[in-house]
Amino acid sequence: MIKDKISSQEIIDLVASKASVSKRAAEEFLKMMISSIEDALYAGEQVKIKNFGTFKLQWNEPRKSVNIQTGEDILLAGYHKVTFTPDTILKDLVNEPFAHLEPVELDGENAIDLQKEETSDIALDPLRVFTEQASEIKNLLSEIQALSTPEPDLIEVESREDTKVENSKKEYQQNIRVEIPDYVFVNDEPEILENETPELKISDTEEPIIFLEQTEKENAEHKVVVDEKSTKSEVVVLQSTDNLEEADSTMFIESIKPVRNRKTGIILLVIFVFLIGGYVSLYLFNSGVKACSDKAFMGVITELVYVKDRVCNWMCPKPQKALRTEVLIIPKDTLANDSVTENDVDSLQLLFDNPRVYTEFIATEQLRKSSRLTLISLKYYGTKDFWVYIYEANKERISNPDDISSGTLIRIPKLDSRLIDASNPRCMKKAKELHDQYVKG
Amino acid sequence: MNHKELIASMAAKMNAPKSVVADLLETTIATCTELLADGKTIGFQSFGNFEVRKKEERLSVHPSTQIRTLIPPKLVVNFKQSNILKDKLKDLPHND
Repeated sequence: MIKDKISSQEIIDLVASKASVSKRAAEEFLKMMISSIEDALYAGEQVKIKNFGTFKLQWNEPRKSVNIQTGEDILLAGYHKVTFTPDTILKDLVNEPFAHLEPVELDGENAIDLQKEETSDIALDPLRVFTEQASEIKNLLSEIQALSTPEPDLIEVESREDTKVENSKKEYQQNIRVEIPDYVFVNDEPEILENETPELKISDTEEPIIFLEQTEKENAEHKVVVDEKSTKSEVVVLQSTDNLEEADSTMFIESIKPVRNRKTGIILLVIFVFLIGGYVSLYLFNSGVKACSDKAFMGVITELVYVKDRVCNWMCPKPQKALRTEVLIIPKDTLANDSVTENDVDSLQLLFDNPRVYTEFIATEQLRKSSRLTLISLKYYGTKDFWVYIYEANKERISNPDDISSGTLIRIPKLDSRLIDASNPRCMKKAKELHDQYVKG
Repeated sequence: MNHKELIASMAAKMNAPKSVVADLLETTIATCTELLADGKTIGFQSFGNFEVRKKEERLSVHPSTQIRTLIPPKLVVNFKQSNILKDKLKDLPHND
């Protein structure tokens, strides 16, 4: 762009020739115009010229600055400034070369991508969430200890915690069908032990135990053995108290009014343990990375032991007090859970027995010469054995599962996650049956 | 002061009919506009410079929706007062 500077003389010449007046008249006119504008500005007015723009007077406040050579503070005096706002017509004329350009929204896609990355980060790194939770619990514990006198707020806190637990319960039931952990305080009075549920085996009655137990919904056996080595379904923490208490959290709260002072703390602790158990299960089922699980459990167990120590120190002075208020509540969960499991088994059976209808598809795949249904199954479902379902969904395209023609487009059906659970022997058995049926047929 | 008032005041100063002044003003403005549209800089002695500046393209982010928008480059008219005018204005008392 050529930045030729046009002087007022040249303007005068141009105007004179265009308006066919003498240069002198044009010069006088221009001077008069400028002085008129200035006068108006002095008077504090703004001057508007049609099709050109507006002149305004603006006061710039004095401001502080620093002399860059000496580093001294200096005060720049305030001054008046004439500002010019071009008229739209002038603006458009001047901006003509770029007039065709319009602001472009760089779609929300990028932002969404960023969000996705963030969420997946969280999902991939549950350990981090874990440690955050653990430190939170630590803080709360120290707070509880600091509160030696009972405060009404505590009750509120506890009910809040309770709702938290409720929420997490729901979450689990939706996603992974985890039983809500039962927790048991055991002491050396076995007659109080009314625990008739077959899945709980108390290994050591001398040492009180908290079970944080969780079982898969589809676990047909529905047995839990207390074993520190079994990392998948149990967390065991030893706790040296002299009480036996079985309770679910709501009942538990009702029972603590007499000695609210101490019991409130206990409840809070129990709820924390509860929460930890919940996170453990959530993490384990979501990640499915067994390699990680040991590591994660070590972290959790450390935290739990820490909690245990705190409880011990705290309870020791008056362990008998709590004895008086001990409550026996048979866990309601047991029966309910049994029935739930039965229902689940039934629904699984139904899934097996009913002819599957494939309406939703997660992908389409073009078969190549080297393609195998088993490999495709491995790719989409994680196991080779479930290729039968892909075959079922594409029966009209594939005449013989052993001899597929390349170039065929097949659709990968969306399957119920319960149906393709590789860890469930029944699913595997069903797949095997179908396999035999199709290969022989 | 708007366009009409400016013409009126100029006509009074020049002892010329308003129509003549209006014509002249229109011609002057048209000339200036033309020159600016060509990307030229116009300098009025003792008043200031009219200049065309290019604003580069930039990326703006909506603060609440986080939608990013590419603002295209554009040309704008910029006026910078001359030092003579600035000095004249120094005498002006400011009231705020």
